[in-house]
Amino acid sequence: MTATLSQKGPRRRYGEVNLGLALVIPVIVIMGGLVVFPLLSTIVDSFYRINLMRPGTPFTGLGNYADLLQDTSVRRSWVNTFYYVMMAVVLETLGGLAAALLLNKIKYGRRWLLAAVVLPWCLPPVVNAVVWLWIYNPSYGLLNGILQAAGLTSAPVVFFNDPKLALFLVTIVHVWRMMPLTAIILLAALQSIPEDLYQAAKLDGAGAFKSFRLITLPLIASGLAIALSQSTVFAFNLFDEAWILSGSSLDTRTVMIQVYMFAFQNMKFSLGMALSLMAMLASLLVSLVYVLKVYRETRFD
Amino acid sequence: MMKKHLNMTIATVLLLQVGTAGLALAEDAKPLAGQHLSVLLPPWGTLPKEMTDGFTAKTGIILDTQTLGWDDIHTKIVTSTVANTAPGDATEVDWSWVGQFGASKWYQPLDGLVTADAVADAPTAKIFTYDGKLLAVPYNNDFRVLIYNKTQLEKAGIKTPPKTPDELLKAAKAIKEAKIATYPIGLPLSATEGTSTTWYLLTKAFGGDLFDKDFKPMFVDPQSGGYKALSFEIQALKDGLIDPAMTGLKDVEVQELFKSGKISFDVAGWAGNLAVYADASKSQVANDVAAALMPSTTGSTRTIGLPEAIGIPAASANSKAAAAFINWMLEPETEIGSFNALGNLPPRLSVLKQLNAKGGLKDGDVLLAQAAAVEPLFAQGTPGWYPEFSAAVASAINQAAKGQLTVDQAVQQVAEAAKTASQE
Repeated sequence: MTATLSQKGPRRRYGEVNLGLALVIPVIVIMGGLVVFPLLSTIVDSFYRINLMRPGTPFTGLGNYADLLQDTSVRRSWVNTFYYVMMAVVLETLGGLAAALLLNKIKYGRRWLLAAVVLPWCLPPVVNAVVWLWIYNPSYGLLNGILQAAGLTSAPVVFFNDPKLALFLVTIVHVWRMMPLTAIILLAALQSIPEDLYQAAKLDGAGAFKSFRLITLPLIASGLAIALSQSTVFAFNLFDEAWILSGSSLDTRTVMIQVYMFAFQNMKFSLGMALSLMAMLASLLVSLVYVLKVYRETRFD
Repeated sequence: MMKKHLNMTIATVLLLQVGTAGLALAEDAKPLAGQHLSVLLPPWGTLPKEMTDGFTAKTGIILDTQTLGWDDIHTKIVTSTVANTAPGDATEVDWSWVGQFGASKWYQPLDGLVTADAVADAPTAKIFTYDGKLLAVPYNNDFRVLIYNKTQLEKAGIKTPPKTPDELLKAAKAIKEAKIATYPIGLPLSATEGTSTTWYLLTKAFGGDLFDKDFKPMFVDPQSGGYKALSFEIQALKDGLIDPAMTGLKDVEVQELFKSGKISFDVAGWAGNLAVYADASKSQVANDVAAALMPSTTGSTRTIGLPEAIGIPAASANSKAAAAFINWMLEPETEIGSFNALGNLPPRLSVLKQLNAKGGLKDGDVLLAQAAAVEPLFAQGTPGWYPEFSAAVASAINQAAKGQLTVDQAVQQVAEAAKTASQE
């Protein structure tokens, strides 16, 4: 009897291992084929010259990266992208948190309000950008109409002729589309906080701000970290809004537009690959910095 | 009775044989019948279904037409071809892509596949040759001509269209002073291809060229055509003759402004667009529009041909059916149908003359005279680095129009971009 039991143990464990492997293999195959292999291939190719206009693919080492660092258009697109990331992350987080707190408080009609908040996120980015293109249009745009009706301007303003304003306006379009995602993530985190904690805090004399700082913020920290990460990654990948609103204009050009121009307009694939890897690395590093910061400042021990 | 029955049987067999032979003959006449052909073209190249149904009836080829934006087609061709698949069996080939597609051998040479006589009849077909091989055949005859609002000019007391850039400026000032149009001159200044092509055209108008035979820039000297052309654009903008909003508008949006009567001159007018402007169902200035030869400082008009064509990707699995489609596109009836439906000016000279003789061309004599003055932008053939150069041109002009660069800085920036692009 003992021998039978001891034989069953390893057999069961063996079966569990096999089951685990069977469940994991599809994920490994999919991630390996669609993420890891293309990533490794891109890293390798970025050390060669792959230009469809020129014969051969000689090894260039870090030559592509050096060329990118010297390119003034690339430098400008980096500055623009960091601006987009900074502004988008701040606005999406503050706006998303405010929307989530409001939605969490509302008892009646919450689902309708939620549907309205989510709508811009459901729109394809191109459609979203085209709608805003009409709003910003200097001749018949809504924004100029409002400004003139309110007496703030006397003649139509060409908003995109001011580089700083152009960057801000593109950011607004992106934030408009992405803020709902932040709001949903934070709303989910807010709804997981037990009501008892707030009641206990109230009994202890804590005000609304103190409850928010000592209960809400630490308990939505994980959600906040996810929201911040996705905001950063999406802002680094900003393409459609800037392209539709202002084409390849240097004033609003993002790193992703620059990647597109290198790879698909100029056929310099290796330069496009090297730049996209740099963008990925920057995106990861920035996300890591504040995810760790949020974790350290808000964790419970 | 027996004999009658036999005769009837023989007659039936004969009829069946004749019928079968007829069917066989019909099949012989349509050797590609049943093949599926995918064609990828921009909206202005996509013919109406009634026309393409005629192609299917004639050849038996089942057509799958895909319509995409011009920029998107280039991206689709690049991504599909890199992935070793055909973006379509026959696709758009813009004049500006010839260098890229020729160098990368992405398109099949059409020599021998398409009707040689028809190709010889289309002078702009030369623009689509690379290393002596024909890569695509033009389906429109896009050259640039000055299109203006005759009524607005007359209201300002101007009887004849401008013949020089200076006269153009004077006319625009007169129109503005008479408060007929706030911004009389229409030309794009956004960071898009239309901005670059307008500057190339004006460079010719000022008697210049972009490059010498060794591709050395010829627009850096303040006395050069290119420098004067950019100065002309920026000065007209500063003088309030060009709408400041042009920094965000593409060429097609400028055309919409012309159609609505808000601008008096479509400086880099597409010759084929004259028919659209003169169509009362599509334009508010149908009775006011007229064409004139491109103004010039040298006394003889110059213009550039920027036609679009259709070619067969190397990876196409149905190249014979694609060639049949291209040959059908070259037929006079198809070219006339394309002109009537979409305003595509026929690329074949004989068809153009035929249309004009029948009175079907608005200001046909002007168009024919301008067509005779068409020059390719690059006499040596479009280089593979053209798209990179052109993007730099659009970007620099856009910056100059926004006041971020002087004319001098802009042309220097373009020259540097040309040097970098051609060396890499």
